[in-house]
Amino acid sequence: MISQKINYLNNYFKIAFLNIKSNIAGNIFALSIMSFSFFIMLFFMLSYINIYNYMLSFEKNNTMIIFLKNTNNKNSEEAHFNKVRFNRIIASNIINKIKKFKGVKKVKYYSNKLSYKFMIKHTPKIKSILAKIKPAYFPKIIKIYFNSNYISKIYLSNIYLRLKSMRHIKFVYYSKLMEDRINQFIFFTKIIGFIVLMFLFISSVFVSYSAIKLIILRKQNDIEILKLIGATNNYIKIPMYIESGIGSVFAFILSLILLFAIFNIFIYYRFNNFLAFFKINIIFLSSFDVFIIFFVALLSGILGTYFSSRKFF
Amino acid sequence: MIEFTHVYKSYDKNYILRDLSFNIYKGEFVFITGPSGAGKTTTMKMVIAMEKPTHGQINVFNEDISAIQPKQIPFLRRKIGFVFQDFKLLINRTVFQNVALGLEISGVSGSIITKNVTEILKAVELYQTKDEYPLSLSGGEQQRVAIARALVQNPSVLIADEPTGNLDFETASIIIDILKSFNNKGTTMIIATHDKTLIELGRARVIDITKN
Ligand SMILES: Nc1ncnc2c1ncn2[C@@H]1O[C@H](COP(=O)(O)OP(=O)(O)OP(=O)(O)O)[C@@H](O)[C@H]1O
Ligand SMILES: [Mg+2]
Repeated sequence: MISQKINYLNNYFKIAFLNIKSNIAGNIFALSIMSFSFFIMLFFMLSYINIYNYMLSFEKNNTMIIFLKNTNNKNSEEAHFNKVRFNRIIASNIINKIKKFKGVKKVKYYSNKLSYKFMIKHTPKIKSILAKIKPAYFPKIIKIYFNSNYISKIYLSNIYLRLKSMRHIKFVYYSKLMEDRINQFIFFTKIIGFIVLMFLFISSVFVSYSAIKLIILRKQNDIEILKLIGATNNYIKIPMYIESGIGSVFAFILSLILLFAIFNIFIYYRFNNFLAFFKINIIFLSSFDVFIIFFVALLSGILGTYFSSRKFF
Repeated sequence: MIEFTHVYKSYDKNYILRDLSFNIYKGEFVFITGPSGAGKTTTMKMVIAMEKPTHGQINVFNEDISAIQPKQIPFLRRKIGFVFQDFKLLINRTVFQNVALGLEISGVSGSIITKNVTEILKAVELYQTKDEYPLSLSGGEQQRVAIARALVQNPSVLIADEPTGNLDFETASIIIDILKSFNNKGTTMIIATHDKTLIELGRARVIDITKN
């Protein structure tokens, strides 16, 4: 009984490979279309994962950053000296006000020079570019650290509104605000992503459907003969499932390799310096994410075969 | 073993078989005869459930096959060797692969397939052409490939539809000899033919489907 099953399995694979071999051109065509749609699926997944990852980094972060307005720029030494002093006064006024807020743990002021040094320290890869820029062009920043039990959204947005209305403050940036915006953005990417994924899924089902349909049409005569001498439906269908399974797994592997290669070349060698500036950490798909798309890929192959072989038997 | 009782068959209200009844017993050698278009092929097809009778009952191996489950049809067909009038060989497979089909679909292992196919090809004297493709063979050789494919599963019944269709007398008698030898080993033989000389050559029971 078991040996019979093995013989069958052996046979199914043999037939599947013969079918693949008998229509190399058509199969390569189907394969490339399928790997293209799987590639886009993977790419969407990658984008989503990275946005999500970026958002997670905010949750750990309970700081608020205030960018101060730059005062008029005069080039004389005296003016410069006055300016520095003037800035200090403005900054310390603001800091004193902030320190009265509840939940503030620490307030730190970065003058133009300090923020310049900060940038150089944290983005060593673009040091040479930064070195060419005058420190005066860097922003004056006040950074507020909150106690972690004070960082409810309402509380922070309250402070945000108060700070924004103050004089000399250019704009206020805080993680939760970004988080909200990103949440909105993610909502749309989710919807669009879902629509695109569905579309790609249906199209790859259709591709495997037509690939198998083509085989059935071409082999219709053979199939009829096989059935006349006692082949069961399974005997005819299983090799087709194997074939489309092999096809979609192959297409998936191809698309994954392609994505991985592009990921490495593009992100690491071109954009990493640039992205480091924003402290964005780009990650690749986890094995679980890959598995999800793999499952979708396999499912599309199997469904395509199911639909194409349903009418015939 | 095969039992037709009051079988009628029509295509579009056009009856080609009327009230056909006969019995074929185990180990028999039987000719089914009638002029061209009388319904011989149709009669045979009904035995392996390729066609359904319009009325009447057909029992094969004591089972009413007009009520057979579609899932059971393949297993019925594996017990009955069928040599088609048009051979129905797969043109993209070699002689050996064609004969092996029946065993492959039954899940027989490769070594046994090689052994049995070799044996049957030697019995029909086609072993030397085992790697050729059907279209490169003569009509008589193709006929023997079809017979070998039907016999390789060692069926208890072999149905042959015009096995000597348009072959010369020499080749026809070779084929009849082959069929007789398998009949002697116990296979029930049912041969459809309109060829009088073949019937004389076979010297066996004749069922005329037009006279029932
Ligand atoms: N699928 C079908 N649809 C309609 N008519 C059919 C069908 N199959 C057979 N017939 C008709 O049934 C009649 C009997 O056909 P069948 O093939 O059984 O004859 P036969 O006795 O085998 O003839 P031959 O000796 O030429 O092989 C023919 O007139 C044929 O046209
Ligand atoms: Mg006929």
